[in-house]
Amino acid sequence: MSDLEIHMRVNGRAVKRHTPPHTRLLDFLRDDLDLTGTKEGCGAGECGTCSVFVDGKLVKSCLMPVAKAQGAEIQTIEGLAPKRGELTEVQRAFHKTGASQCGYCIPGMVMAATSALRENPDAGIEEIKERLGGNICRCTGYTKIFEAVEIARDVIAGRLSPTALEPDPAGQSFIGNNVRRLDAPSKVSGRLRYAGDMVIPGMLHMQVLRSPHAHARIKSIDVSEAEALLGVACVVTAADVPGEDGFGVFIHDQPIMARGVVRYVGEAIAAVAAEDVLTAKEALRRIKIEYDELPGVFDPEEAMKTGAPVLHDYAPENVTKHIPIRKGDVEKGFAEADLIVEERYETQQVEHAYLEPEAGLAYVDHDDVVTVISPSQNITHHRHMLAKIIDKPINKVRFIMSPVGGGFGGKEDMIYQGMLALAAMKSGRPVRLVFTREESIISTAKRHPARITYKMGLKSDGRITAVEFKMISDGGAYGMSTEGVMRKAAILSCGPYDIPNVKIDTIGVYTNNTPSGAFRTFGAMQAQFATESHLDICAEKLGLDPFEIRRRNMMRDGAITHTQQTLGSVSIGTVLDVAETASRWEAGAPGRGVTRSDLGGEGTREPCTLGARFAPPVSKDKREVA
Amino acid sequence: MQRKIRGRGMAASWYGIARTATIDRAGAWAELDDGGTGKILTGVTEIGEGILTVIAQIAAEELGVRPEDITIGDNDTARSPEAAHAGATRQTYMIGNCVALACRDARLKLDKEIAEYWGVEADTIRAFNGEIWSEGSNLRLSMDEAVGICKKRGVVPVGSGSFTAHGTGLDPVDGSGSPWQAYVFGAQVAEVEVDTLTGEVQVLGIWAAHDVGRAINPRGVEGQIEGGVVQGLGQALMEDYQLENGHTKTHGFAKYILPTSLDIPQINTSIIEDRDPRSPLGAKGIGEPALVPTAPAIMNAIYDAVGVRIRSLPATPEKILAALAERALLREGAVA
Amino acid sequence: MLTCDQYLMPTSLAEALALWAGAPGGSRLVAGATDILPWAREGRAGDVHLPSMVDLSRVQELCGYRIEGGKVRLGANVVYQQFLEDETLRRHLPSMPYCAIWFADDQIRQQATLAGNIVNASPAADGTPPVLTMNGEIEIARLEDARVVTRTMRVSDFVHGPGKTALAPSEIVTAIICESMQGYGGSFQKVGQRRSLVISSVCAAALVKTDAAGEVFEDIRLALGGVSPVPMRLTDIEDMLRGQRITRQLVADAAALPADRVASRTRREYRRGVVRGFIEAAIEDALVACGAPRPVAAQREAAHV
Repeated sequence: MSDLEIHMRVNGRAVKRHTPPHTRLLDFLRDDLDLTGTKEGCGAGECGTCSVFVDGKLVKSCLMPVAKAQGAEIQTIEGLAPKRGELTEVQRAFHKTGASQCGYCIPGMVMAATSALRENPDAGIEEIKERLGGNICRCTGYTKIFEAVEIARDVIAGRLSPTALEPDPAGQSFIGNNVRRLDAPSKVSGRLRYAGDMVIPGMLHMQVLRSPHAHARIKSIDVSEAEALLGVACVVTAADVPGEDGFGVFIHDQPIMARGVVRYVGEAIAAVAAEDVLTAKEALRRIKIEYDELPGVFDPEEAMKTGAPVLHDYAPENVTKHIPIRKGDVEKGFAEADLIVEERYETQQVEHAYLEPEAGLAYVDHDDVVTVISPSQNITHHRHMLAKIIDKPINKVRFIMSPVGGGFGGKEDMIYQGMLALAAMKSGRPVRLVFTREESIISTAKRHPARITYKMGLKSDGRITAVEFKMISDGGAYGMSTEGVMRKAAILSCGPYDIPNVKIDTIGVYTNNTPSGAFRTFGAMQAQFATESHLDICAEKLGLDPFEIRRRNMMRDGAITHTQQTLGSVSIGTVLDVAETASRWEAGAPGRGVTRSDLGGEGTREPCTLGARFAPPVSKDKREVA
Repeated sequence: MQRKIRGRGMAASWYGIARTATIDRAGAWAELDDGGTGKILTGVTEIGEGILTVIAQIAAEELGVRPEDITIGDNDTARSPEAAHAGATRQTYMIGNCVALACRDARLKLDKEIAEYWGVEADTIRAFNGEIWSEGSNLRLSMDEAVGICKKRGVVPVGSGSFTAHGTGLDPVDGSGSPWQAYVFGAQVAEVEVDTLTGEVQVLGIWAAHDVGRAINPRGVEGQIEGGVVQGLGQALMEDYQLENGHTKTHGFAKYILPTSLDIPQINTSIIEDRDPRSPLGAKGIGEPALVPTAPAIMNAIYDAVGVRIRSLPATPEKILAALAERALLREGAVA
Repeated sequence: MLTCDQYLMPTSLAEALALWAGAPGGSRLVAGATDILPWAREGRAGDVHLPSMVDLSRVQELCGYRIEGGKVRLGANVVYQQFLEDETLRRHLPSMPYCAIWFADDQIRQQATLAGNIVNASPAADGTPPVLTMNGEIEIARLEDARVVTRTMRVSDFVHGPGKTALAPSEIVTAIICESMQGYGGSFQKVGQRRSLVISSVCAAALVKTDAAGEVFEDIRLALGGVSPVPMRLTDIEDMLRGQRITRQLVADAAALPADRVASRTRREYRRGVVRGFIEAAIEDALVACGAPRPVAAQREAAHV
């Protein structure tokens, strides 16, 4: 490899570095210049977190070999404000509106917003949206970002007083006040360091060998060649686990690396810690594994059949968890019904797609405390589990929760922290692992997909007499959160409705698919998607307005739930009234779209037709946007 | 048929706050610190929802200082008390309440010293925004001075708080039990435009009404709702993790399609505050529940617009067009 | 992850051709690099090591454009964003801004070249259909006895199939040459799984020129992408419309023709369903760009009885 000598100006200062020929501008900024405000979200130009200005043009630095920027003028998020500690109008507007949540996409989003206003200081909201179209945000729903860019635009143009960027007055109480987010300045400026931005002197870099098979017995693992490679500090496998190997949110059925059997594509088998990522990758290629491929099962209903491949000995029918709920007598309820409607619903597996891929660091400190820094959503439980796995007293295990660049449940599983801890213990050095986006997608949990059969009986006035609800969910190869997801789905399945007779079953099943786990709503959205779709189908058949059929059935103060809990105050009636009024809802049965008179107008946006920037003449004076 | 047709749909929802069917708990430590600042220690940190700001607001309110005076020591199992996990819509409810209790505990110590110093009853002491006073008098100090006095009297005003949410397990046979002590309710209306030529659905408006108990930071609540709605929209219309014999076909964001700025409806949020009677703050939560009704509201709106019922998510352009074609065939059949 | 032994940045065409001819087997040419970096990742090519990468972005002869003899010669380094921002290009290539606005996003358009898009020969390449409608040609250079020699061929002959072109080893694409379409109305239709940064399921490009009264199709150019291994020009439909009086009925009838040409192996029914309406919409939008009033839905409905 012949290194490149790179000269450029970065944020107004000349830099010169030698770097390998394949280095991307993103790596150069982050690794060679320690400008970690520019984030890597996908490495494939699909998310925009790495956006920087090159000679005044915004580009995605993950798509730019650094050689292309030879001699260029680079501006990164760190260089937007004239002085360190100050914020630009765009950054202040993001702070003001609460446009940053996890913050990981925000440096890229601030760059895109800045570029939009530099290109057209008078850009309308549709044009602003188009110019942000290459940047993904997973937390905010973009709405507060749009608001921020419009405020910044108007302040810069002098149409709006700079006081618009100031905090709201405190009033009589801080509770109920729109106090600006305390963490926003660190996020809009790129100063906040996530685990993948952290560096510990002397740290090793980890890479993970993952299963290419969905189900296979591991006959042998030979790591000798990998261990012998210059620059490799250690290789860890299940054989290195000193304690009781197993993690999971409800059942500890998953070893930190495959133990004798792989159960899904992407499951970790071995991990290498080396002086640099390339050496670690080379070492992975030298690990020899012999597999005996086993038949796999990829459909939850197939998995429950006799003779299906069994994933875990303790669950011979591949059932992770079955939650039953019974109240009243459904047969009697159906017999009383004037209308019975039966349907099937399906929801898909969904990726969390937090912009921050998993990353972590581990080291053993001076007091022999094994320390793991990672964006874990549950450091308390991870500490308990890791202490058992590495056979240490609990106070000799320490978890530090680094800023989480989006979680949504996806960072509750201790999917990589164990490997990091083992490698730190074995090598005696700090170790860092940063997932690629692809690695994050194949190896971490998804939202449980669901197949739901739904039977509802109703009187002709819309009152529900009985519901029979059955949901089968593919939990994938390991238990993770499946038990809890099935429980929550079951409890909430039939919605906030007073139903005298229910028969509810939710069943989570093992398959050789990517595991399903915790994901924002924990089963509730799958189940209630079915209920709320079903209610509209029934409303149409009965000629009822959707609000009305729900009101006729809704729980009221003191209602008894499907699990026979007596509630106190129940706000669903108020909530329905507010939604109906706010949306100017015109009453009537479903299926009348074109004849409605409540369409469009206040509360809606115009449909997106691309090319907003063609419409008005683009302002020629490119006003200075810091 | 007209190319672009609009329709509306709605859906309701409910949700339980904090961990399910178990006793949930969280702890925090508080200190009124030099300079009239506040220090809070708790074992969990921000995942983007805004909990640090919520904690600062609660601590400021309870300690009588300003939110920017609060320092939060968080996120470390070796340095802070257990707060357990960042999920289950439990942050504001569990951490918020234990921080409030810890701050009240610290304030008790400070108020006692200051009351003695002033020679008034402790229950007359009030504090807000960096000032402390005795109600019904003109006795008033800055919090900076008050902390100094307290310490000179030999007392460091520290406190701790533990908050419990009482849930019970479910009966293994009939599922009976009381999984949560607090519930929230929500409803959303969606307006969509369906392009009957391409099958694309654009969501033009969402009206989201959610009970959150008490909005500690209304703007933060809106942010949670807007984010939840857009995740719900993504699942409704485009996101799909696809496997073939256990191998993913959607390795990256080129294949796993997420909503971008061009897919976002106007989101109109209404916050309803039905306070929780079982906790010091009365706040409940919003993180997860915001996305529950979005997908069914959109599916119901698509049906309202063009008469096709998508029972299997996501409602991709291809699925919509196939359903429209099937519907047209059925109609022709009915006419014939 | 993409790694290489050498990253070369020639500044002249002769230098580039010499480096390319001398590069070890398995080396790659790089223009914008927006395709090669995502390609060398898991799920696609995985980790890739290349002997040499020869980056053309600083080759002077490939930069900029020229307009002469009724043709626009777009140097191979012309990036998509120029079609949005350059007034002259917008005037001469009136469908390209609409194509460019659908192509990827603002950042990627700063790097991605039209030539690179055509050379990659994806069935869904957004740039190919409009270039086909402009009777696009591709200029290719090679070294012969240390002299730079070029050849030019029609883009329709250049693209052979997914990832397959007439480019020979040691050759470099130097320009895309299109007819100037000044005075035409241009349009571009696209549907994917969302509205930005997305691959076309179907796309269609149109250019229309009417008589002064706006009543007759003086000329019309149509092409489709995403529906077959190679994007296709629709000359028979053009022939059917050229010289004819513009009526809604005529447009609707013409648009009904191409559905059976959808040859994609996947999502064929969907693509067939979209194509007819896309041709109609493409013509309609191009007419609007010529100054015609936008028809209301009811007028379009009337033509579909």
